[in-house]
Amino acid sequence: MSRAAHRPSSTERPHYARLPPQSSNAIRLRTPNAALSDEAMSNGSNHNTLGEGVDTVAEEDPRAARWREQYLRTEARLAAVLGGAHTERAADGEDDGTKLPADVAPAAHDARPTATPKKPTRTIDEDDYGDDDDDAEEDDTNTSPLFSKSAPNGIVAGTLDPPSLRMPSLSNKLAIDRTSTPGSEPAKSSDDVRKQLQQDKKAAEDAAKRSFHTMFYTLESDRDAMLEQQKLDELDRQVETEMSGQLASAPAAGVPAAPQQGTLSTTNLGASSLTLKHLIARIDAQRDRVHASDAQLRSLISEVRKNRSKWANEDRVGQEELYESVEKVLMELKACEHAHPFLQRVNKREAPDYYNIIKQPMDIGTMMKKLKQLVYKSKKDFVDDLMLIWANCLKYNSDPAHPLRKKALYMRKETEKLVPLIPDITVRDRAEVEAEERRMRNGDADADGAEDSEDEEPIMASRGRKAPSKGGKGSSTARKAPPAGLEGTPGPESKPSIPTLNNVVSNLKNEFLRADSEMEGSVNGFSTPPPPGTLTPLGPNGALRAGGSQADVSEADGTVASVSGFTLEEDADLDDLEFKTWKQVTKKDRATIAAERHRLFRDDQLQVDEPAILRTKAGMRRWLRHKKQASEEETAGGPVSSLDGKDGVQGTAGESLAEGIEGEEERQIPDYYDPVCAIPDLNERLQWVEDSEGHVIQQFEEYMRIVPKGQFIAPDSLLAKKMGSNMRQMQETRKICSKIGIVKQMQLQSQMYTNQFQKYDPQPFLEMDIEPMVVSEEGPVIAPYVCRAALQRSVGEIFYHAGFEEFQPSALDAITDVAGDFFQKLVATLGMYRETPKMRSEVPVTVPSGTTTNWIPRFTQEEAILHSLQVNGVELESLETYVKEDVERLSTKLAGMHERMRSYYAELLRPALDGSAGADGAGAFNDGSEQFVGGDFAEDIGEDFFGFKELGLDKEFGVTFSVPLHLLQNRMRNAHIGKTDNVTTTGVLMDEPPKFEPVTRQNLGSQIGLMQKWFLAKLDNTGSEMLVEDEDLPPKQRFPKPRLPPTGKISSPRKRPLREQQQMARKKRKLDEEREDNGSNDNGANGNVIKGIGKPIGKLKLEMPTQKENQSVPEPEKDDGSAVGMISPESILAA
Amino acid sequence: MTDKDKLAKYRTEIQQMMFVSGETGDPSPETTTLIESIVQDQVQFMLRECTVLATRRGSKSISTDDLFMLIRHDRAKISRLRHFLQWKDVRRSVKDSDDKDAGAGGDVGEAGVDVAGAGPVQGGGGGVDAGKKAKRAKVDLVWDVQSFFAEIPPFTDDVEDEEEEEMNFATLQRLKNADERTKHMTREEYVHWSDCRQASFTYRKGKRFKEWAGFGLITDSKPSDDIIDILGFLTFEIVQTLTEEALKVKAAEDISKKAGGMDKSRLKRKRERGLFDPPEEAREPVQPGHVQEAYRRLQRGNNKSRAMLNFTKNIHRAALKLI
Repeated sequence: MSRAAHRPSSTERPHYARLPPQSSNAIRLRTPNAALSDEAMSNGSNHNTLGEGVDTVAEEDPRAARWREQYLRTEARLAAVLGGAHTERAADGEDDGTKLPADVAPAAHDARPTATPKKPTRTIDEDDYGDDDDDAEEDDTNTSPLFSKSAPNGIVAGTLDPPSLRMPSLSNKLAIDRTSTPGSEPAKSSDDVRKQLQQDKKAAEDAAKRSFHTMFYTLESDRDAMLEQQKLDELDRQVETEMSGQLASAPAAGVPAAPQQGTLSTTNLGASSLTLKHLIARIDAQRDRVHASDAQLRSLISEVRKNRSKWANEDRVGQEELYESVEKVLMELKACEHAHPFLQRVNKREAPDYYNIIKQPMDIGTMMKKLKQLVYKSKKDFVDDLMLIWANCLKYNSDPAHPLRKKALYMRKETEKLVPLIPDITVRDRAEVEAEERRMRNGDADADGAEDSEDEEPIMASRGRKAPSKGGKGSSTARKAPPAGLEGTPGPESKPSIPTLNNVVSNLKNEFLRADSEMEGSVNGFSTPPPPGTLTPLGPNGALRAGGSQADVSEADGTVASVSGFTLEEDADLDDLEFKTWKQVTKKDRATIAAERHRLFRDDQLQVDEPAILRTKAGMRRWLRHKKQASEEETAGGPVSSLDGKDGVQGTAGESLAEGIEGEEERQIPDYYDPVCAIPDLNERLQWVEDSEGHVIQQFEEYMRIVPKGQFIAPDSLLAKKMGSNMRQMQETRKICSKIGIVKQMQLQSQMYTNQFQKYDPQPFLEMDIEPMVVSEEGPVIAPYVCRAALQRSVGEIFYHAGFEEFQPSALDAITDVAGDFFQKLVATLGMYRETPKMRSEVPVTVPSGTTTNWIPRFTQEEAILHSLQVNGVELESLETYVKEDVERLSTKLAGMHERMRSYYAELLRPALDGSAGADGAGAFNDGSEQFVGGDFAEDIGEDFFGFKELGLDKEFGVTFSVPLHLLQNRMRNAHIGKTDNVTTTGVLMDEPPKFEPVTRQNLGSQIGLMQKWFLAKLDNTGSEMLVEDEDLPPKQRFPKPRLPPTGKISSPRKRPLREQQQMARKKRKLDEEREDNGSNDNGANGNVIKGIGKPIGKLKLEMPTQKENQSVPEPEKDDGSAVGMISPESILAA
Repeated sequence: MTDKDKLAKYRTEIQQMMFVSGETGDPSPETTTLIESIVQDQVQFMLRECTVLATRRGSKSISTDDLFMLIRHDRAKISRLRHFLQWKDVRRSVKDSDDKDAGAGGDVGEAGVDVAGAGPVQGGGGGVDAGKKAKRAKVDLVWDVQSFFAEIPPFTDDVEDEEEEEMNFATLQRLKNADERTKHMTREEYVHWSDCRQASFTYRKGKRFKEWAGFGLITDSKPSDDIIDILGFLTFEIVQTLTEEALKVKAAEDISKKAGGMDKSRLKRKRERGLFDPPEEAREPVQPGHVQEAYRRLQRGNNKSRAMLNFTKNIHRAALKLI
């Protein structure tokens, strides 16, 4: 209802708000009034203001009649307003406003005192902003309490922890009250105390908050906080349940008194009376026209208005203020870290004799109950109870060393700090108040214009202050407040000093006021007077405050001295103050967070059903805000803010998309308690930044880079060079080796084929680097597989260097892994040595950055490396030996080996060159049918004699020189056989017989006559060339050597040479087709064949035609005259 | 009796070797027995390892290469061993040639081939001439450059192996010591000395050695002559190293005894010292304790064997080290 009802009023408000400009006089009057009324209330010594105040009061009475007359109509209008009939009301309001400009002032004046202590602030605010700011002002006040909590005028940075939540805002208001309203100064020396305390507290809290991002407190106290909080909650619930039964009857007790018409403005409407003050003023002004009882109006308004506290009660004057503050104090105390033992009634089981010693037990829980039951009537009641708790504790635990004592003392100290915050109010029944009021009013009529403070009483009463008349102490009553706050302690000793102080203060005040009003007058024409804060000269104000605080100090001293003799020696402060404050400030939130986490891990298990701790928008926003705050603080310290370099970046960083989306829950907790909400830094280079024209700035050019070359190849060191040359040497030697192998093979084999040998042509070693690559980050490129491959390659090189031409991949893998492992260990060791704590040196050292320091590393670079090598079993000598023996010595060895290989190779080739060849080897090529083509054979012998033509044939054949393989092979083999024969037969027993002279026409005559004819035929066939011996025939035409079985008899016909056999096979096939032709050929063929021998063969093998074909070839059968048994097999066969 | 036999088969030899190695006193049987058991342990260990290596090669019987492999990290020892083998070869060929001269032309190649069994000895097929005597056979190592290539070129004279020339420091030192000691010896003493130098575990005691070292149990029972010779050499080296180390231990102990106020003994000494006291030479011999300490020192592992266990929780189990 209240909210719904309030809306129209807030929209309505502007109409009224626009009223004051029309009656600027009234507005201007208000400030002095406000000030004066405060002044008057507090010391009642000001004539001028009083007179005015009295005037207004006096004016009020006759108007009451009119109010009553118009009551019904107004009521109807009110109903209309609530119903939504705006226009009529507005018009009417304006009407009224113009008609009765003067009425506004008194109404305001009256309304204000009824407000809570916040009230003056509001009034002043009103003045501050002036008329045209009213809209905003009203809106401000009308916005939701949430808002006002989160940003109370922007001064309190939001300490919104519920127990302490309202305190700062309250203090804020008080502070404003204090600084801006000179009039309230003297009245509130208790406020001074309060304010002082508040300021201290706030400063401490701010300090604690500031330390959020500079100090890391460990988390071990969280558990305690959580447990305490749980206990507190438990207590609250308990109180709540106990209360719920009684609450039903409680309101009945506070039945409102009989309806009586008075000014509406005198009713206690709490904080909201501000927002309604215009309405109230209007209603008050035309009370006679409103046909409703005061009570009705009151209830009506109290329903309409907002943010009344739960303590508000129409019929109990002052209760709201008192209870608000009392509750706050209680909450504060409850939240103290040492409050734990005092939260609940002492259990009889724990302390059996407790109730024997302590007759009047008390605890915070009980006090809360009493509070809820509205038992407390005054500040004194409350404070007495509080002090009772501590006193009980101290009484029961008389042992000075008892830990509870410390806590009690601490709590008492806290209490003493907090108590001044409670306004000294006695709750009174409305009926009583009103009766008094009436009495006053009557009295006022008599004592109109009197200087007596009595005439202020209605105001005092309505303000809920302790009525001066009641105390009967006159002007000193107000002064009583601070001592009252320390009720438990005898504090009246401050009395004598204070009145004088007060006088001074009031004098100052008067001057102030005068100055103020003069100013006020001078700026008369302006619609918006400057804020009073600026009007107020700082000096006097400061002096005043100083005076106030001085009084406070003296009082505090007095109390401390008087309270307990042992306070001093028994200091409860165990922790560092900052930490304590920190704990205090963050306690509740820490507890909440710890509890949240605890829920997840209850019973030492992960509770899967519990809701997860999630990132919230509000949390992230808070995080951002804190970060910004922190960075601002930092940059404020620094001369230049580095962030300004990139415009646009800064702007986007501050904003948050989530602003205002989610409800804000403010927490007093460092960000590290809420890690899920942290927002990682976005790499600056990845941010979307636009320049002034709105083009996106391309940032990649600045940070993209190409990986420098050579990171994955061996560095160009001397050792690497040496190893490389060693490996090349090995390759060369291996080339020769393979040539030797081929030559050796030639010696053994009778036939060679061109593709028999694989060409050995090793590629030079070349370390491949990675391909050009672009990276976006600094530092080394670490891709494990690439690194491993590089290492593997190095291992392979070392393998090769160690003499392995080939190796199995698995072996390579194994060694690579071992090497990688070893290097990891080596580096880890090195890291450990590098990271040993620094040690102190006598001589300051200058570090590269320019600063000097006494701390030097424990190990120098060299030492660290040597140590880690030693630990990993690498001795420098062994490294040196490796380089000396296995690299340098190896190279000389390899060179020697190469030389040996070459000479060996030359040795092997020599047989092909000597013999019939001349000195230069040229003769070697004179024989046979084929020749070397080109090139100087002898010259190339050592190095590239073969050049491996037989392997790289085609290219070489026609170009430079080519050695026909079989020719060379022949020579090699022959030489080798000859040599090996020599060796095996241990010396040449007989000289080789001279070769047969080739048969030519010239020497034909020397042959056996029987053969001459046959030779002649052959010579004719070959065209008078000399006949070639069978042995010297080319391999394919040569006859296979006949095998002679042990019997000595040749059982098989002589085999024909290879070529002949092939031809015969071909002919055979033809023969089958041309069988009919056989006869015609027979005759010719028979002529050639030796009589009797060829025939059976021919018959047997059906090879007559082939024999004819073979005529061109020298007949082998006949040729073999030397072999005696050669013919016989055929004759045997024939036979 | 049998037990004693088993334990102390080489008492004299060990005593002689210790004498050569610098021990002047007469070591007690306990000392020699201890040394003998250490040597036996080492030899058996070597044989076991060799067998493992041979198996890995795919061979049943161990070869000299396996023995070389075992001591490959001790370059000095390798060098000495090669030296030894070369001279052994020279000796044999000289002897053979002498035999041949006497026995009217035996087979020339035999001796050379026999020696070549150890490694590819390229001597041109047996040293017939006196000129060959000077030229020592070359003992190649398996991991030498030669093994890099498929073909083995004949050894040529012009490539001089400089490894031969550079003498090992320790070897030189030993020779120098021996020189010093023999400098003032009388003829008889020197004869004794040279007798002692010939002491060997294997020379003309092949059967005993094989039994002692566990041939037939650990590895095949028919080792080549070379293996026996190498083992003989190595055993001598072991005894020598142990003795030298033990002497060092003893010397250090003596110094600390003298310095560290061993009152009683000093008093005794003072009292005993006189004109007819035995000379310094005849000081008391090395005790088993010294040998044990020497053995411990020689077995002390280095970081290398532990390196790969760093940052792991594995416990290093040191293998037996060859002395």
